Amino acid sequence: MLPSFNYYQPASLQEALTLLASLPRPKKLLAGGTDLVPALRRGELYPANVVSISGLSEMKEIKMERGLILIGALAAFSDLVCPPCFEGAHRLVAEAAGQIGGPQIRNQGTIGGNIVNASPAGDMLPPLVALGARVRLCREAGERAVFLSDFLGDAGGACIAPEEILVEVSFPALPVNAAGSFVKLGRRNSLAISRISAATVIIYDSYGRIEEARLALGSVGPKPVRVPSAEALLKGQKPAPDLLEEVVASVGEAVGVLLGSRSSASYKKAAVRGVARQVLQKADPRFMNSGEING
Amino acid sequence: MVEMKPFKIISKVNGSTVELGVNPGRRLIDILREDLGLTGTKEGCGEGECGACTVLINGRPVNACLVLAPEMNGKEIITIEGLTPEDELHPIQEAFLEAGAVQCGFCTPGMILTAKALLDKNSDPDEKAVKTAISGNLCRCTGYVKIVAAIRLAAAKLAAREGSI
Ligand code: FES
Ligand code: FES
Repeated sequence: MLPSFNYYQPASLQEALTLLASLPRPKKLLAGGTDLVPALRRGELYPANVVSISGLSEMKEIKMERGLILIGALAAFSDLVCPPCFEGAHRLVAEAAGQIGGPQIRNQGTIGGNIVNASPAGDMLPPLVALGARVRLCREAGERAVFLSDFLGDAGGACIAPEEILVEVSFPALPVNAAGSFVKLGRRNSLAISRISAATVIIYDSYGRIEEARLALGSVGPKPVRVPSAEALLKGQKPAPDLLEEVVASVGEAVGVLLGSRSSASYKKAAVRGVARQVLQKADPRFMNSGEING
Repeated sequence: MVEMKPFKIISKVNGSTVELGVNPGRRLIDILREDLGLTGTKEGCGEGECGACTVLINGRPVNACLVLAPEMNGKEIITIEGLTPEDELHPIQEAFLEAGAVQCGFCTPGMILTAKALLDKNSDPDEKAVKTAISGNLCRCTGYVKIVAAIRLAAAKLAAREGSI
């Protein structure tokens, strides 16, 4: 038995927003339940009111519109694994979603929940940060859109009011001459704490040089971090193995500064270099030495 | 303490309509086991890690220990008891027996439902597809080799059955 609370199942987003505005705190939104239910059970949360939005099918849609990819916050991870809009350069979204938990968790957990709970090991976050995603938040009185990187707090957690609902995540579709990839260390859910991940997006000019590169790392801090020094090294260059070594070294340095003297620092510094190397090689095979096979 | 109002749900469990007032602080697994007597669904970790509590909701495998009872509303739920009419074995169950994929049996209902969802989508999964599909179901006994073999045998049985109709 879980702690006592009142439970509501609104039939529309509007109804949910009205409820959230009027119900007293502490209140909690329920989407997939994969984080909320265990937290209730462990007694970490004791809301007086739980508002379930899991049935709002209008928030499950995934579509492409005017150059933007729009993902409803209630899309389950397994809904993100197959759609055609996550092929090609966008496949990092599908790759990250496909590696979360086990299949059951992927059927239940939602992208919105993963973002709002903002776990340092929230696997969807590095790819979305690399893609320059924004989130749209609604409340009864209006709505706002913010960059995901600003929505995630510097001390962990997400900047969301108890009256707000994250309804959608979006990012600009990448041009045709672009690549992207995602890599994660560690496999099972229970290893979440030590799990380091990296996502990259590379946009090329018409000569095959890197016009813009974005590299986002997960689990090295309270929220995913971009690595500007590494991104600057890549800009304007042609992908090649020696360039990769320079980039990987600068990633190691940047992470060293971030982690300081924390006890996990030396492990993470080494691990992050490996993950950065892999993610770039996966995005663009020109980073590989001839004969090297990316496992 | 808040006084919890029972929440009225209407859902389909193993093909029959179920109407109940449920306490929102209970979970789907509690309703199945305690109120509906469907004890084939097992509770292992209660945390979403082991898959022993796997049931199908609208055809997809989910962990019943992570679903609040009122979330059943409007859903179609299949438990291991609903796989076939009483006293009959489903080809997946036959395959598990024949391949020796059942030892203590605690993981078996969840494994079989996960296998059913896989085979409904992919009638001829290779070893990798089977392993991926059951990656959320833990087994303490078998070492998985026989479970993987059983699911592939089940695929063959289902294909043969299709062919003979
Ligand atoms: S009991 Fe539900 S996943 Fe273990
Ligand atoms: S047969 Fe015992 S847990 Fe799988």
